[in-house]
Amino acid sequence: MNVFLAVLWKDLLTEWRDRDRLVAMGIFALLVVIVLYFAAAPGVGSEARAPGLLWVAYVFASVLGLNRAFALELENEALSGLALAPADRGWIFLGKAAASLLLLLIIQAGAAAVFALAFDVAIAPVALPFALVAFLGALGLCSVGTLFAAIAVRTTFREVMLPLLLLPLMIPVILGSVRATNALLLEEALPWPAIRLLLVTDAVFLIVSFISFEYVLDD
Amino acid sequence: MPPSSPDRVIPTLHRASTVALGVCAIIYGILVVNAPLDSEQGVIQKILYIHVPCAMAAYLGFLLTAIGGGLYLWKRDERFDRFAASAAEVGVFFCALVLVTGPIWGRGTWGTWWSWDLRLTVTLLLFLVYLSYLLLRSFTEGTERTARFAAVYGIAGLAVIPLNYFAIDLAGGRSIHPQNLEGGSLGVGMVMPFAMGAVTAIVAFSHLLLGRIDIARLRAQLAEREAEREMRGGDGSPWDI
Repeated sequence: MNVFLAVLWKDLLTEWRDRDRLVAMGIFALLVVIVLYFAAAPGVGSEARAPGLLWVAYVFASVLGLNRAFALELENEALSGLALAPADRGWIFLGKAAASLLLLLIIQAGAAAVFALAFDVAIAPVALPFALVAFLGALGLCSVGTLFAAIAVRTTFREVMLPLLLLPLMIPVILGSVRATNALLLEEALPWPAIRLLLVTDAVFLIVSFISFEYVLDD
Repeated sequence: MPPSSPDRVIPTLHRASTVALGVCAIIYGILVVNAPLDSEQGVIQKILYIHVPCAMAAYLGFLLTAIGGGLYLWKRDERFDRFAASAAEVGVFFCALVLVTGPIWGRGTWGTWWSWDLRLTVTLLLFLVYLSYLLLRSFTEGTERTARFAAVYGIAGLAVIPLNYFAIDLAGGRSIHPQNLEGGSLGVGMVMPFAMGAVTAIVAFSHLLLGRIDIARLRAQLAEREAEREMRGGDGSPWDI
């Protein structure tokens, strides 16, 4: 548990000192929103498309952030230092994933505000349930995302490898999140099947990643 | 040095599977040609005898990839990694056949090449997962690291299959895929060619898998001998091996 808090604190402190990952993710999410605004021809069923487009921005921003999560660790063999920590590597995974999750949640809040303005959708009245959906979706993204980032960073095409590994596995997370967001924007109750899908997916991804991280860091 | 026991077993099994595949293919061909025509779909329905058995072989390949990966992580024996990588390659081949035959059948019966149907979409996603698996293997340096990374990804890829089914079902994807197989109600005279198709696909899968494992084994041996030669300070000529 101490290792979890130490890794989380280290990642947040590093991020606070240069803030490059957060800024890059924020600008990227904003750019995606702008590009989607022009690509989606607003006005023609834009309300129906808005949840999907919003989650596209989240997924792309998260891939960008996750790619950076381990890039810093490669300098001065810091990753080997992490691997040598006398603790279960699952806790190191949880620390890294929690740091990425917190950053993504900040980006999600900012992007949702911009998205609400750009696409004229009312997210503010459903802010709390939307925050729950965003959290569950982000948890799914950051759990296996952190595991695959640790793999991708040590491949020859690291920037390309992460989306290739991550996106085919993200369909349950994206589908559940988009369905739930869609229901919220239509002022309906939170759809239980979508929330259940997100909960089950998050649990499976967390367990698989927690156990597998041991083998990914085993150099 | 005489070859060790596993070195002899795999090529022998591979040769035996060639004979088995030949026999199965002849029986299968005769049964499919003589199978009755479907009253609604006509001759295009016969693609069922290729499409579904190939899907079975593809899923078997991905299951074996995860099992091989899990065994590698447990035992750290390279042979399990070679087994997993070979199963993934053969699985991707059969999955590609499913994705080619499916749209041809779909065009003939549904009038469309593609539909975001539950099983079609899950199969496409699985295809992409295992293509990424193969890419991961080729983009990772070091045999041991490649094996570890691939094993983790192969297991994660298998874990997501039931989640994908659940997700796409939630999105209303269970729409136009033939339901008759779910009920087990194949028409009269269709059961035998279908069952023989399944047997032939599994034999073909085994044949390709054994062949691929043998190639992987030979490659590993070659790499080992090249490393030995370099240690001895050979001049790089192939005759040093």
